Amino acid sequence: MTGRVCRGCGGTDIELDAARGDAVCTGCGSVLEDNIIVSEVQFVENSGGGSSAVGQFVSLDGAGKAPSLGGGFHVNLGKESRAQTLQNGRRQIHHLGSQLQLNQHCLDTAFNFFKMAVSKHLTRGRKMTHVIAACLYLVCRTEGTPHMLLDLSDLLQVNVYVLGKTFLLLARELCINAPAIDPCLYIPRFAHLLEFGEKNHEVSMTALRLLQRMKRDWMHTGRRPSGLCGAALLVAARMHDFRRTVKEVISVVKVCESTLRKRLTEFEDTPTSQLTVDEFMKIDLEEECDPPSYTAGQRKLRAKQLEQVLSRKLEEVEGEISSYQDEIETELENSRPKAKGALASLARDGAAEDSTASLFGEEDAEDEELEAAASHLNKDFYRELLGGGVAGGAEATGSPSGSGQPPALESLLGPLPTAASLGISDSIRECISSQSQEPNASGDGELDLSGIDDLEIDRYILNEAEARVKAELWMRENAEYLREQREKEARIAKEKELGIYKEQKPKKPCKRKEPIQASTAGEAIEKMLEQKRISSKINYSVLRDLDSKAGAARPDAGPEDRAAARRLPRRKKPAGRSGADSAASVGKRLRPMVSAQAAKKAAVGETPPPNAPARGCALGRPADVLVESGPVAYHPEEDAEEEDPDAEEDGEPCVSALQMMGGSDYGCDGDDDDGDGY
Amino acid sequence: MYFFFQKVLMKLRKPRITATIWSSGKIICTGATSEEEAKFGARRLARSLQKLGFQVIFTDFKVVNVLAVCNMPFEIRLPEFTKNNRPHASYEPELHPAVCYRIKSLRATLQIFSTGSITVTGPNVKAVATAVEQIYPFVFESRKEIL
Repeated sequence: MTGRVCRGCGGTDIELDAARGDAVCTGCGSVLEDNIIVSEVQFVENSGGGSSAVGQFVSLDGAGKAPSLGGGFHVNLGKESRAQTLQNGRRQIHHLGSQLQLNQHCLDTAFNFFKMAVSKHLTRGRKMTHVIAACLYLVCRTEGTPHMLLDLSDLLQVNVYVLGKTFLLLARELCINAPAIDPCLYIPRFAHLLEFGEKNHEVSMTALRLLQRMKRDWMHTGRRPSGLCGAALLVAARMHDFRRTVKEVISVVKVCESTLRKRLTEFEDTPTSQLTVDEFMKIDLEEECDPPSYTAGQRKLRAKQLEQVLSRKLEEVEGEISSYQDEIETELENSRPKAKGALASLARDGAAEDSTASLFGEEDAEDEELEAAASHLNKDFYRELLGGGVAGGAEATGSPSGSGQPPALESLLGPLPTAASLGISDSIRECISSQSQEPNASGDGELDLSGIDDLEIDRYILNEAEARVKAELWMRENAEYLREQREKEARIAKEKELGIYKEQKPKKPCKRKEPIQASTAGEAIEKMLEQKRISSKINYSVLRDLDSKAGAARPDAGPEDRAAARRLPRRKKPAGRSGADSAASVGKRLRPMVSAQAAKKAAVGETPPPNAPARGCALGRPADVLVESGPVAYHPEEDAEEEDPDAEEDGEPCVSALQMMGGSDYGCDGDDDDGDGY
Repeated sequence: MYFFFQKVLMKLRKPRITATIWSSGKIICTGATSEEEAKFGARRLARSLQKLGFQVIFTDFKVVNVLAVCNMPFEIRLPEFTKNNRPHASYEPELHPAVCYRIKSLRATLQIFSTGSITVTGPNVKAVATAVEQIYPFVFESRKEIL
């Protein structure tokens, strides 16, 4: 076929036997090639007599185990793990994607993202489910499907923000720019869920128009698209005479009621809301609105400005007040000598007073202090009036009362300006003092004390009695916590004595298995089971008794234990699995030997007990395995006969099971002598 | 003053700062309005600890994180802004109403809101100021014109 020339005779007629893999020259019969690689299908005869083809199915992804021809086993194992990860990921992607109703193309794209992520080691340190969800959401975004991150988190029961973080990281690392989400995408989906029947399309169109209007009115930046959708749909539904309550819309759109109401009020503020239904459909208003948060900010700004203006006016008013104060005093002085004119002058003063009072009313309406002071003034004024009227002729009383008045007024008016200016002067004082303290050079390890007021610091530090009081208060407040701490310490100390103190690392996820330090095998089993997080099903007293050789029958504990232990075999431990296999084989062999005894407990009893100790011992003392040898192999059979498998010692039966695992041939041979169990 | 994870919170009034005092001796001082003030507050704290009788060495004072807020006189179109500044900016309206813009060279992060207010965090005051200067032209591009 290839046109080779025979070495012996020079002939070109070469026959290739594909089945045998030979190349033979037909002229001289010399074999030119041997063991050619062939691509024939080979058949092998089964034990049952049928024949099957030799070979493996290799999947499209290349995730199958590619057998290397006599080559690096290390490489093989590494590839296996990666392939396994990818396979697992693909399966999970399909599972999630089908729940979201994504088509095959999307799922494939998601799997590609996942492959990229794995190659960049982004799956390390993150839950696989999170990474997969992020990949799926990325696909949703690039394709523009109406799936929200909330949906994914609903499916997975994971916090949205956690998923979001993973998603952002993924998008950044893969340099994939996810286009921004457009609320219009969600409308058809939500409209469908709200069941508008025939008018579905019309309502959707109206809602779309509303949304576009909202966009132009700047309601949509920084807002959850689902909230906007909800508001638009609600209004659209009402416009088409559908009674959809807020609650219904919320359940579909998944936002809070207050959010929806807020959006509605914001929309109400826009001029579009003033249009009627028909007008809205026809006209589109030209002007755009400012975003609602912007208007709120502006309002606050204006309020602040107003306050400033007012405070400035306050100062002016203070000046006026003092001038009025002088005027009042002079008037009062004048009023005293004339009894008749007193009333007139007082009336004049009253006019002046009234004007000041009205001044207060107008400009400092917000200042309650001034108002109170004004009322005070008025009261005094009236008192004075009355006093002046009563003691018409009594100037002697008038004068002391008159003389008493100005200081009273002064004292009244005195606190006024200072109270008003208190805030200002305080801050000014603070500024000055802090300015003086600002220029402080840095120290060199030694504490630079310049500018630190020692006296003030001394005031901060409590003295003896105060410290005691505070300590007591604090103790009483935190009594609960302190008690817990003490109990914890006591527990740790006790455990330390018993020698099973395990270092608690609450923050770090314990990926690494800490070497179990236990004094006895029973403790080892306990701790191992604790670690494997199946400890709730295990009766520890039973396990402890394993060590103590107390052969007493524990029928109650037994079945539970075994029932639970039977569940344990499902753990993915190779030792356990093969242990189960060997135990099962042991069980099979033992059954004919153990006649009537384990009638009801047979099925339950025999498979698990060698199993449990086997597994326990696998972790417990591997050292012991090597010590004990052949003769121990028959122990489990005898012990099983007693129907108390838990009475076995840990060491010996374990070994035998392990030995059987390792060299099952020995077990077989040994038993063959006794008579095959089959 | 709380007691969780072996630390004590202490608040001063004069420079308004909150200090976290760890049992190892490290002190974290937050809430000051300027770098100088932070240092001053830390020194006052050290002084008060000295008065209580502890051995105090004031070493390695360094500003670790600065947070600043500023306001632009215009609003910003966030989706447009994100599109123009692809790798650095990330906007996820479902999660957070602001765009998160990271400047790797300055190690600063800016949060840009649609109202025009920007929150900047960075390793020191200079970096924060530079970050604002850097981002201004980008933000100006995507601003919203007021009619």
